[in-house]
Amino acid sequence: MPRSRPPQAPDRTRPVLSCRGVSKAFGEVRANQDIDLDLYPGRVHALVGENGAGKSTLLSILSGRLRPDSGRIEIRGRAVRQLSPARAMAAGLGMVHQRFMLVDSLSVAENLALGAKGVRSPDIRRLAKRYGLDVDPDRMVLDLSMGERQRVEILKILCRDAETLFLDEPTSVLTEPEIRSLFRVLDRLRADGRAILFVTHKLAEISGLADEVSVLRRGRMAARNLPADRDPRDLARLMFGRDTAKAPERQPPSPGRVVIEVESLSGRDSHGREAFRDVSFDLRKGEILALLGVAGNGQAELVQCLTGLARPASGRIRFAGRAGDLAYVPEDRYLTGSVADMTLAENMLLTSGPGSGRLLDLGRARRMAQQAIDEYGISDAHPETRARELSGGNLQKLVLARELARETPLVVLEQPTQGLDLRSSLQVRSAIAGHREASAVLLVTGDTAEALGLADRVAVMFRGRISGTLEAVRGDPGQAETLGRLMAGLGPEAQA
Amino acid sequence: MSLGSRGRTAFASGAVLSTSLALFFALAVGAIMFACLGADPLRAYAVMARGALCSGYALGELLVKAAPLILTGLAVALARTMLLWNIGCEGQFVMGATASAGFALYLAPDWPAAALLPATVLVGAAGGALWALIPAGLKNRFRVSEILSSLLLNYVAILYMEHLYYGPWRNPQGFGFPGTATLPQAAWLPTLPGSRAHLGLVLGLGLAAALFVALRRTRWGYEVRVMGLAPKAAAYAGMNLPRQTLTVMALSGALAGLAGMGEVCGVQHLLQDGLAQGYGYQGIIAAFLGRLNPLGVVLAALLLAAVMVGGQGLQVELGLPSSISVILTAALLFGFLAAEGLKGLGPALKTRAAQGGG
Repeated sequence: MPRSRPPQAPDRTRPVLSCRGVSKAFGEVRANQDIDLDLYPGRVHALVGENGAGKSTLLSILSGRLRPDSGRIEIRGRAVRQLSPARAMAAGLGMVHQRFMLVDSLSVAENLALGAKGVRSPDIRRLAKRYGLDVDPDRMVLDLSMGERQRVEILKILCRDAETLFLDEPTSVLTEPEIRSLFRVLDRLRADGRAILFVTHKLAEISGLADEVSVLRRGRMAARNLPADRDPRDLARLMFGRDTAKAPERQPPSPGRVVIEVESLSGRDSHGREAFRDVSFDLRKGEILALLGVAGNGQAELVQCLTGLARPASGRIRFAGRAGDLAYVPEDRYLTGSVADMTLAENMLLTSGPGSGRLLDLGRARRMAQQAIDEYGISDAHPETRARELSGGNLQKLVLARELARETPLVVLEQPTQGLDLRSSLQVRSAIAGHREASAVLLVTGDTAEALGLADRVAVMFRGRISGTLEAVRGDPGQAETLGRLMAGLGPEAQA
Repeated sequence: MSLGSRGRTAFASGAVLSTSLALFFALAVGAIMFACLGADPLRAYAVMARGALCSGYALGELLVKAAPLILTGLAVALARTMLLWNIGCEGQFVMGATASAGFALYLAPDWPAAALLPATVLVGAAGGALWALIPAGLKNRFRVSEILSSLLLNYVAILYMEHLYYGPWRNPQGFGFPGTATLPQAAWLPTLPGSRAHLGLVLGLGLAAALFVALRRTRWGYEVRVMGLAPKAAAYAGMNLPRQTLTVMALSGALAGLAGMGEVCGVQHLLQDGLAQGYGYQGIIAAFLGRLNPLGVVLAALLLAAVMVGGQGLQVELGLPSSISVILTAALLFGFLAAEGLKGLGPALKTRAAQGGG
């Protein structure tokens, strides 16, 4: 039977969900600190913040998948202890994940019935019609576009009678027309009195849609329940801050020969969708170029092409060096950059290549590991320690030491300080800065301060294109703002 | 004590723990079974131990069984080290045996022993290797799961061998019995005086040692291990997965092929019914009981062989079905898997306790 109905006579002045002082730490990383948030029925609340600001953690807490270390969550004025996914669902909270959780080989109706028993095609059609969620219940999920799959996800939580909807970066997988149609759906859900939490990093999206906006920055609420017509430039400032990095002092660039030249390169992601387009830049020895952007704007796929791990769809890469003669510190240091079940010494051999002879030079590997341990002060470690016993920061230092020691003409660093504590971040950054004279460095990062503190030039990627490039000038707070606007997709006026 | 050595000690003690748990579980299952069959479990185990260990003949038989198990165990362990499932050792065993027999009988029967025996050994290895390259190629080219293709090829190999010794290769002087003629003596593997234990055992031990060193000390072995432990890191480091898949499957097949060669040239001396008696599948058990470590595989193969030979004693002395040894073997594997599962549970429980406190 059709269970979904608009919430009955909601009192729109009282929050349907609120949290107070919610905190969550992972080891030394404080993902959420003292978060207060109120969601009201009949309102779309936008939550913005850059990568690593703590948006995902907060969503996981609100949907019951993570337990906060401290703080209180109230649903309709009643404190909920030990929120679990089941309790969250029963209390009318529903989550649309960024990665859809659907069974590809089942039909839409079957997927919905998995979540809410007794739901049949006619009910789905009625519900779909009311909210403009146009999708055929009898089609296989396999055959649906990303936009249609998202509608199924929304239907899924509506079938469970959700009164509060969380949408995690819902536009990141959608095309422009799909985004407009999603906004119409959200309009109707709002008119029905449902509360919507809309998480995004694209500021341009929220002005036409949201009623209010909160800004997360480095795990804290930088601003709460602002009116959504607030000047986006203010929001960008709140989101990215204006602090410049405490980077080591360094010489002005003395660029040498061009090491890599990229010409109108385009490429696809693993699903075959366009990930980046018309990307051009060149990079010289002695220069650091930062590729700045919020994750998911095509940087990862671009790096795959540059490092030879994927093929571009079109365009050219001219590399002044033997193919593969580049050092690469990948974003995923746990599964890609290292082998958890091997010793540190063995890990030092990972990228030394097949040219290094038939026998393993374990003696050299041990010396290299010991040198990295001494140079970076990796505590409690020994060349025979297994990599899995190192903290993220120490592992990153090891990977960095290995890659920089290869003395290649090009070094590609992907989110090198992501998830690291302050001390490790500074160590990693000074190692990068110290390596600048030796080779060309491409720094892919989401951290504006890091880009401005380390790089000579900063190129911003947004939706697969380079949306602007600027020469980094020390101590110019205006640059951080400009970059913040570019990262949030606030258009060309920001380039002025 | 440094963190590293502590980690390794924990690793090693984990191995001892799970293997002894497996043994204990198997013995308990066996005891229940004997009790159900109306036999005294202690006496039955005593009979088994005596049957397997307490005479020169018994030890010889144990080594005869251990030789192919070591080789097929190594074959499975090597493939599994890089996350490949070679379930096709039985087929590769059969193709190794068939290739050796065909070579010695029809291609080079007149060669002198000094040339014929080494050549027959190599041909056996090549037969297994080629058979294993089929699933490897299918996996590389069409992404066919090697689990299925290697398993299904077992039946093809066995039927093909039967076709040969029922048909074109059947011994004309064999009184109509299915089977080839006896191989020329120059192609027989030398045996230990006074027993049927043959040179295949030495081959297995030597290859186990070689594999142990190769996996730890060579660039090739390093790549195989990285591909098994962290496939993403292997791709990141630019390692060639398809090529290594071919190499490792070929080597794995060669090991299984050598086991088949050993049965033909060392024990049976002809192709006939009863050659394919499951050494390929038991190799899977040997590989896992040996924790994929080449030296561990040798110990596991000896243990399995002891259970099999001891099981024969049950039939002779107590009138119990000798197939009990098969059940004991299965119990060993289940015990091992359960112990591994329990070990995984340990850290999980600890984490949960820590979270509950927080």
